[in-house]
Amino acid sequence: MRKPVFLMLVVVFTICLCKEFVCAEDSAIPEGQPVKTAQEVETPIINKANEEGELKPIVQAGQFDKTPKEDKTPAITTPEDEEQENKDDIKPETPLVKDPLQPYNRAIFAFNDKAYHYFIKPIYTGYNSMVPEKARVSVRNFFTNIKMPVRFFNCLFQGELKGAGTELARFVINSTVGVAGFFDPAKSKFHLQRQERDFGQTLAKHKVNSGIYIVWPFLGPSTVRDTAGLAGDAVLNPISWVSYFFLTPLEGFGNYSYDTVNDISIDKGQTYESVTKPAIDPYIALQDAYVQNRIKKIKD
Amino acid sequence: MKSRRILSALCIGVFCFLGTTTLSHAGEPGKLLMETIDKGLVVLKDPSLKGDEKIQERRQKLWKEISPIFNFEEMSKRALGQHWKNRTPDERKEFVELFTNIMKDAYIGKTDTYSGEKIVLIGEKQDNHYATIQTKLITNKNTEVSVEYNMLNNPGEWKIYDVIIEGVSLVNNYRSQFNNILIKSSYKELVQKIKEKKGKEETAKK
Repeated sequence: MRKPVFLMLVVVFTICLCKEFVCAEDSAIPEGQPVKTAQEVETPIINKANEEGELKPIVQAGQFDKTPKEDKTPAITTPEDEEQENKDDIKPETPLVKDPLQPYNRAIFAFNDKAYHYFIKPIYTGYNSMVPEKARVSVRNFFTNIKMPVRFFNCLFQGELKGAGTELARFVINSTVGVAGFFDPAKSKFHLQRQERDFGQTLAKHKVNSGIYIVWPFLGPSTVRDTAGLAGDAVLNPISWVSYFFLTPLEGFGNYSYDTVNDISIDKGQTYESVTKPAIDPYIALQDAYVQNRIKKIKD
Repeated sequence: MKSRRILSALCIGVFCFLGTTTLSHAGEPGKLLMETIDKGLVVLKDPSLKGDEKIQERRQKLWKEISPIFNFEEMSKRALGQHWKNRTPDERKEFVELFTNIMKDAYIGKTDTYSGEKIVLIGEKQDNHYATIQTKLITNKNTEVSVEYNMLNNPGEWKIYDVIIEGVSLVNNYRSQFNNILIKSSYKELVQKIKEKKGKEETAKK
């Protein structure tokens, strides 16, 4: 009775050993020289993919209404150029967003950039040196927890009942176990991820077009749709209700700015710099990054 | 009776074997990428290379480790888009060099503030010669950043041709910029602009 089991184990063991060897060989291949067959080297890979209609568009699906398929007709050129031609042809040159206000937008962008570097950045670097990072993250957790209705209702508006449930559970856990929202045990202990839902996405899900690109002073890049989204979120945000009923305009503004500066101090400032700093044209870089990021968030 | 058992054992073993080998094949680009990232992390974590005064040395070592996995020519080609085909071989060569430098500054510069971020493989899709590797960067503030690597198998070697951070494709981002400049001005002016930027950075460093 025991013998066959033993035999099976031996067989499996030897096979595992063989597998180890094969794996070692496998991993050795990409490191070394291209050991592929000569035939594979000779055939232009891109053309092969093209014939099969499988050439991957560089832009993710959903970013453009027209898929680059119609551009794929191979150009008649010299053989050595052909490979490149095909690749170039798939590049759609439609801009992601209409920007008729560009001169105005560029001016506001320049203003925002200056404001960031000479006004907001000094504030938050000072704030950083006084308040340890852990405390700043806690402050952000607190504000994030309060703003739960924004995410909850937008989940509902977008038909994401599961997301809405997650948000509700997160709110209950973080408000109690998380000491009024200063900590985020819902994520660290219960693995409930925050649902990033805003009203701009809700509008997008209901087929509202993004409209033209607008840069707002201090608020930064936006579109017509996302501006309406900001207004929608403000209505859903309990902080704006508290400010409206119980605080003077100055206190409300201070509250809002504190939340914003705290947010920038953690990672938003870095994100902004990592987009604009290595760019040749920072205005376009930020616009493109904003639009691409929004498309992803709407798709998710 | 006994021989039948041996046979079934063999069969099970062979199936296990086949199953795992196909899996390890599918994971080839992802494995290569994660290995390269790990090599990079070793440099970043190296205590002998810590500190501001070692910045240049660290950057150089890191670049040596990770640059072989990037296909800079492909990236440049895609970033220039339709304008690539009108370039002479010399112009192309120069442009690849310039673009490689931009990437180097953008990428390597970001690692200066490395403080224990983790990179986790989420999944990968492979379609013929193309692969998309999804990873997640977990910062020590517990925020997660989605980073996707698009890779292309160009004879026998998987190399990265695009990096997509939170939905923002690096190559697309530069293509928008280059396009916007090339609509209004000539290719020469574009090259001039790139060089100017490089020059400015160098004077700022000194």
